[in-house]
Amino acid sequence: MSPAGPPASRVRFGIGLLFGLLVALAGGWALLLGARTQLEDDWTTRRAIVAVNALGSLVGQATDDAGVRKLVSAWQGTHPPGTRVRVIRGTTLEASTDPADTGAKAAPRRLAREEKPLYDQAQRLRAGVDSNREGGAPKAEIEVERQGGARQVAAPLEADGKVTGMVRLLVPAEPSTGGRSPVQAVLLLVFALVLYAVAAWLLPPRTALLATVSTALFCLAAAFFVGGELRALGLAERDGQRALASTVAAEVGRARALTGASAIDGGAWDTDLARKPHGLVTGAGAIDREKGEAQAQRVRRGALRSLLTLAALGLLALVVVGFGGAHRVGRALVTNRQAYAYIAPAIMGTTLLVFFPFLYGIALSFTDSNIYNTNLPLTELWVGLRNYATILGDFSFLRRAADGHWVFNYLNFYWTFLFTVIWTITNVVWGVSFGLLLALVLNTKGLALRPIYRVLLILPWAMPNYITALIWKGMFHRQFGVVNQVLAIFGFEPLSWFDTPFTSYLTALATNGWLSFPFMMVVSLGALQSIPADLYEAARVDGASRWQQFRAITLPSLKPALVPAVILSVVWTFNMFNIIYLVTAGEPGGSTEILITQAYKYAFQRYQYGYAAAYATIIFGILLVYGTIQNRVTRATEAL
Amino acid sequence: MAPSRREERTPHWILHTFLAATVIYTVYPVLWVLTIAFSGKQSLAIADLPADPTKLDRFRAVLPWPTRFAFGNFSSVMADQPFARWMLNSAIVAIGATIVGVALSCTAAYAFSRFKFPGRRFGMMSFLVSQMFPGTLTLIPLYIIIVQWLGLGSTLSGLVIVYATTSIPFSVWMLKGYFDTIPKELEEAAVMEGAGPGKIFWSIVLPLAKPAIAITALFSFMTGWNEFIQAATFMDKEEMYTAPVGLRFFVGGFQQQWGYFAAGSIIVSIPVVLLFLYLQKYLVSGLTAGSVKG
Repeated sequence: MSPAGPPASRVRFGIGLLFGLLVALAGGWALLLGARTQLEDDWTTRRAIVAVNALGSLVGQATDDAGVRKLVSAWQGTHPPGTRVRVIRGTTLEASTDPADTGAKAAPRRLAREEKPLYDQAQRLRAGVDSNREGGAPKAEIEVERQGGARQVAAPLEADGKVTGMVRLLVPAEPSTGGRSPVQAVLLLVFALVLYAVAAWLLPPRTALLATVSTALFCLAAAFFVGGELRALGLAERDGQRALASTVAAEVGRARALTGASAIDGGAWDTDLARKPHGLVTGAGAIDREKGEAQAQRVRRGALRSLLTLAALGLLALVVVGFGGAHRVGRALVTNRQAYAYIAPAIMGTTLLVFFPFLYGIALSFTDSNIYNTNLPLTELWVGLRNYATILGDFSFLRRAADGHWVFNYLNFYWTFLFTVIWTITNVVWGVSFGLLLALVLNTKGLALRPIYRVLLILPWAMPNYITALIWKGMFHRQFGVVNQVLAIFGFEPLSWFDTPFTSYLTALATNGWLSFPFMMVVSLGALQSIPADLYEAARVDGASRWQQFRAITLPSLKPALVPAVILSVVWTFNMFNIIYLVTAGEPGGSTEILITQAYKYAFQRYQYGYAAAYATIIFGILLVYGTIQNRVTRATEAL
Repeated sequence: MAPSRREERTPHWILHTFLAATVIYTVYPVLWVLTIAFSGKQSLAIADLPADPTKLDRFRAVLPWPTRFAFGNFSSVMADQPFARWMLNSAIVAIGATIVGVALSCTAAYAFSRFKFPGRRFGMMSFLVSQMFPGTLTLIPLYIIIVQWLGLGSTLSGLVIVYATTSIPFSVWMLKGYFDTIPKELEEAAVMEGAGPGKIFWSIVLPLAKPAIAITALFSFMTGWNEFIQAATFMDKEEMYTAPVGLRFFVGGFQQQWGYFAAGSIIVSIPVVLLFLYLQKYLVSGLTAGSVKG
């Protein structure tokens, strides 16, 4: 590569600064725009929930139907014109301020057939309330639908601790407070570039100096930008809290006016979807200063993390471009454009669907992601190395069963790992030795029927392996399976194969042994056929025994073909999902689970995505270590 | 210890006995599934045992030959169950994935074999390492990409893309190994005659690499035809199931329709087994060429 001359590096660091700042500032600005929209959206929803909770508690206090209708229409009067209220009990629309429900359709009336979704929604909410009272994973007691800026919210009606119906409220859209203008970011960008131009013109053109100046300018601009944006975000959050508090205060005021009661806890109306109060607002509608500050802090910290990541990326861009990395990459792309054109489609495809999912999976392993929080961004679920610590730090090999006895804890990672290793070794040893033996036999000169044997012996490889697995599972059936029938012919008792870990392991071994030896047989056969016959001829002339010939000629000639095949089959067997999952399914009690099926069960039966990802990442680590060691050993022996 | 000449050859009848025993071991499960399929029943017993079975009765229950032949299982699976539709889905997905995957792998493997360029070693190494990625790890992200980002949930094209790309790393390694064994002199001669790189690749390298391409295509096809976890994850609608997902239906969970399963298994296995046996002459050269020459 050409040495980067000083004048060139002036321009390069300038371009690097431009790119770096574009990444940091434009990216950050777009990110914050999204964050603010989200923030505003959340506050709108929360205010709508306050309103529906306030309405619900008022309607719940009303003594009779007429009272409900009077209250609803009075309530409507104190709210903006677009507000719509509907009260539903059972199959009856009890009160409504919806213009559609006038004339013949005026409340009270039965719900029409096409209004079944309303009835269903009320049932869902009631089920949610009941399930939350019994404990367990929180379910939604309030449903929110976004209709542009407007919110359609529904909450259960309760009387004497029982759900009696549902109230639906449409809160009209409010004018948006508007985004943040990009002027500040653009000014910072231009300012930094102008300063750099002046500095580069004045200073001696030395690479180190230019790098320092451009990095310093980048950091300065980024710091200004981040500081300003975080302050603005904090203010937006504060505004949102104030708006919420004033909504609560207003609802409390209206409730007092409508019912005449004086002790009303408005803070209890500001709840999440499971109707648990956030506790941000006091009963009278003032902000709890401490909690408000803590929440603003949290919002700012989340944004800070993302902005710093972007700034780091920007700095990286600056350094790469500045020191000529981008230039070199560009040159390599042009010189080897033909090669890159050939590999580009494959690389793009695998990047999107092989490597990116892999990296995403690894990122997932550092989070607490599970079925209840999939909609949150990964950064909010970050738990660091906790999953790994839980998996690798679990040394409880015994646990107490329901009847008080101590039993072996098969869910322990180390047991599963040990079992996986045993499983892999036995299978590969069987596959290699049996496959090699068959290859040697089939390679006998002048043996009759050779092609027929070959076809029949390859058959297990050709069969889809999930079918093989299910066939063998059927054959090991306790009552009807043929294996037990054969045992009976020889006078043995039928076995419940899947009831003890050892027999269960045998069923999986039999299945995998059946389908894995043909691969080794074919590979060995190919290698055997490529050994020149005169080698053996010469050995025989020298009086070598067959065993000596095997050791001195056959094995060394097989090695180049067998070593990669063994590595491949170790990796395949280690991750042989179908056989374990379909044949033993981990029975009994998870004892015959291998690592990959265990990871699958954590992900798709216990829905602990983060934990399962950590599990799978450990599997990858184990295989990588194995591959590296194997590679070293192979090379070392080849060097001898 | 000097061995005598006589010990050097094992008598052929011993070899035949050994091979015959092995053949029984490999063929028995296949015959078993055939028997269940042609029994016309849903039970997984070959024959019903009397209350006090004799040795002969028990032997009958092990012999893979149905007590009576019936084609009911086959006709029910094809007519009453949406199995034909599932087979069609599988065929489209497997063939599509094979064509796309092999085309991309061939070009990439050729570049990796013939050109020297920055990133070559890194590319091959990352393809090798990707073989160690546990499928469970990538299943959730793949679901997010295919279903949520690309909106290809419950579509055949989504599965084609997934199968084609996930088969690329293995295919590239196999094909590169084979391309490496094709002597460069052939191409150099073609260059002398004025052929461009595209023409060389298309009319010299590809025809010579037929065994490796056939095997790569076979493996890609088998992956697409047999895969069931990703298919089960991405395909929500019953009419979009692939054959493996549908087949698992019959004996998974509370269903125990072994007859349907056996008949379906045979229908599903026939194309892939025939293809495999047809292409097996390439198996040895295609698989081992690269590794033997190192």
